[in-house]
Amino acid sequence: MPDYMIELRDVTKRYGDLVANDNVTLQIRRGELMTLLGPSGCGKTTALRCITGHNIPDEGRVFIDGEDVTDVPTYKRELGMVFQSFALFPHMTVFGNVEFPLMIRRMNKAERREWVMDALRMIRMEEYEDHYPRQISGGQQQRVGLARALVYRPKVLLLDEPLSNLDAKLREEMRFEIRDLIDRLGITAVYVTHDQAEALALSDRVAVRNAGHIEQVGMPDEIYDLPQTRFVADFIGLSEFLAGTLSAVHTEERTATVAVDGLEIHVPATPEMAPGRKVLFFIRPNDIELLPASQESGINVFVGVVEKKTYLGDRSDYRVRVSEGLELRVQTDGKVRFEEGENVKVHLPIPHCRVIVE
Amino acid sequence: MTLARKYLNAILRSRKLLIQTLLLCFALMIFTPFLMIVLRSVGRGWFGRLWLPPELTLDWYRWAVEVTNIVEITKNTLVIALLAVLMSTVIAIPTGWALGRRNIPGRELLMSILLLPRMIPPIAFALGVAQIFYRTDLINTHIGVALAHVSICAPFAILILSATFEALDERLLEASGVCGANPIRTFIHVVFPLILPGVLASMIFTFTTSYNEFTLTLMTYGKDTVTLPVRTYLAIGEGYWEVTSAMSILLIIPSIIVLFMIQRQVAPEKLVGGFKGV
Repeated sequence: MPDYMIELRDVTKRYGDLVANDNVTLQIRRGELMTLLGPSGCGKTTALRCITGHNIPDEGRVFIDGEDVTDVPTYKRELGMVFQSFALFPHMTVFGNVEFPLMIRRMNKAERREWVMDALRMIRMEEYEDHYPRQISGGQQQRVGLARALVYRPKVLLLDEPLSNLDAKLREEMRFEIRDLIDRLGITAVYVTHDQAEALALSDRVAVRNAGHIEQVGMPDEIYDLPQTRFVADFIGLSEFLAGTLSAVHTEERTATVAVDGLEIHVPATPEMAPGRKVLFFIRPNDIELLPASQESGINVFVGVVEKKTYLGDRSDYRVRVSEGLELRVQTDGKVRFEEGENVKVHLPIPHCRVIVE
Repeated sequence: MTLARKYLNAILRSRKLLIQTLLLCFALMIFTPFLMIVLRSVGRGWFGRLWLPPELTLDWYRWAVEVTNIVEITKNTLVIALLAVLMSTVIAIPTGWALGRRNIPGRELLMSILLLPRMIPPIAFALGVAQIFYRTDLINTHIGVALAHVSICAPFAILILSATFEALDERLLEASGVCGANPIRTFIHVVFPLILPGVLASMIFTFTTSYNEFTLTLMTYGKDTVTLPVRTYLAIGEGYWEVTSAMSILLIIPSIIVLFMIQRQVAPEKLVGGFKGV
């Protein structure tokens, strides 16, 4: 049995001068939920359409379950797909929509009914079998879309921004429902989204995309904690970026120091670090600790003055000046309170300090 | 203040009453001429300034049927209309598909050119058609008259169908493909049911257009291809207004049947792109 359920091998897809996918290679393991995450226009939908066969790559091959399907038409690929626009057939009832893939496969009537009702039960929509799509809500329509995609037990489930057309509360509920369904069925799934929270909450692995290529593939916590490029760090969550130079590497402590605007910041060391190299230092505002001025000094503790404070309810947002040309953004939970103009100490915990060697 | 003025003020004050009055005027405008024809077709000795016919009779209908060979004429009219519908639809489906679903450069211009036959004065256009038909022996043939009708029916059909095809959501076709349906089965199960109301609408419009067409028929008909509108016109020339009126009423019957079909078989809201998906 091949290791990968889906594999894109050196896939390139162009639209005129625009390269939507530039030599993309992506391997999706059997039974995992892989998310393609990126801003709109990064080519994530194009990549998905190469898997469905709606797009034929200009170069490269596409494999599903070890079989080269690059030239296989969509209808022979045995996929299930959920669309952003739901794409339910308006002239068919809920039952008819879910039955459609089975009818196409010429399954007999009695068996069809059984499978459809199973699928409808799975999404708790069995009472709506006679309703038309326009008679049910967006969330219900998308659940029917899910049932239609899963009813014939395909090898692969593809989801193209399935929650984008739903309101925020429903989106969160559906997120868990989808994850739950996929776990129960043990199906391989590819999920396309631009919502990083959704990606982190749902996925086994995330592929962060940017302008036609993949920036980083990893588990959600890897992507969040160890972003490898500035784009990933920026896209996945708010970050402060500071340009600096590596001044020393301390092999024993497994740390290095970065000179940023007169400050010496200790960071975890990585093999490619060497003194003198230009680096990009970054830390998330909510990872920085704000301490009273009376606190003792130590490694990565700097003196600063609160320049501006913004109250955000569950947390507060501070701008702290730590040197002539350097202002840090710090977010603390509501319990830590400092006032504008107050002297403080700023602690940058070493494990949260990240460096990208340029 | 006079009573009339008081009433007028009341109308202006009450918007509902105003709208009702306007609607009533509109209805009168449409129905009065119709009422005149009905009365004329069943009245005898209705001359001068009399408001109502002095005597009622169904003789004129008997005349219309017996003297003018109305059965034959109705058959001609229907055959020509059905031929026109068939030809227009066959032309309009691929053309409408191309205009509605492909990005054709100069699409707007093409659409306006389609309506050109309607912009030329009908009699001038019909004259041109007749000259061609005399050279090609199409005068006085059912197919010829139908073909002349197609010149104005097809553009209508193309406009309706291109709008229908444009409204067809590409993503539904993609969804059908992912569900395992090949292009043929996608057409049967998804495309066809979704475009059917539009196709029917286009066929009904073409039918009524051809059925009521006068100018083009007048220039291309012969003794074997007299249609109802033309025969009605000829009857005026013969001086029998009562018979003409009776024929007009008979002429309306199939139109009413078609209208009834639209109401019953195809809900009108479906004709105007009524599928409200997302």
